[in-house]
Amino acid sequence: MKRVEVKLSLPVVAPLLDVIRELSSELSKSLAAPQALHDLDQDFRGAWIGELLEGQNQDQRSLLSLFDAQFFTEGVVAFDEKNAEPIVRACTAFRLQLRERRLKALSDEELETGDVDMSGLEEPVRKAFMCYLFLATVQELIIQHLDSSIIGS
Amino acid sequence: MPESRSHTRTETRASTELQVEDSWRVVVLNDPVNLMSYVVMVFKKVLGFDETRARKHMLEVHELGRSVVWTGLRETAEAHVFALQQWHLTAVLEPDEAR
Repeated sequence: MKRVEVKLSLPVVAPLLDVIRELSSELSKSLAAPQALHDLDQDFRGAWIGELLEGQNQDQRSLLSLFDAQFFTEGVVAFDEKNAEPIVRACTAFRLQLRERRLKALSDEELETGDVDMSGLEEPVRKAFMCYLFLATVQELIIQHLDSSIIGS
Repeated sequence: MPESRSHTRTETRASTELQVEDSWRVVVLNDPVNLMSYVVMVFKKVLGFDETRARKHMLEVHELGRSVVWTGLRETAEAHVFALQQWHLTAVLEPDEAR
């Protein structure tokens, strides 16, 4: 099984975990990307959203499980063919929620390019933006190294 | 014989109408959050696109705001929309009015 181990900077990443846990709590009962489902009947729509939400919660648990005792002692997280897919999805859910709830002060262009003057941001926004970038980096790492494994699964 | 041919024509028309009714589009809408590489990967994974086709549709979403990624029977279209939504892409189902 293909496996990628990444050493993270504990002092940088550990504070971001508080933000990620808050996001996970916020998303426990709502979808990160609300979907227009006008063409579905009421019952089917309920089941549809319920299943999406269940998957979203499972994905988040996979991401949160990365930050275990090994992470807090060695700063190491590991991605493999089993956890790559849910973690990539969870990163997207969290990034969507960050934009929606914590990064309204930034334009879409700033979010897309990452070209932001960090010193000009208030602390909560700065931390949220750091988290936004961190999650994108995790996604890029997984896609770059495990894309073929994900596609093939 | 003439009766039989007339019957065949009626059946053909009914069958064509059924196809029109059953044809739906899966449309992916742009969002400012998802990485280009992520959208390409999702198109490959969910829709079975090769790299070139996945990139073409990703760029269409990025530049035009939307891309029709699949057209066909409603049941399959629903399955594609659901799978794309599992990956947090904004995907909608539209009747294929072009047919």
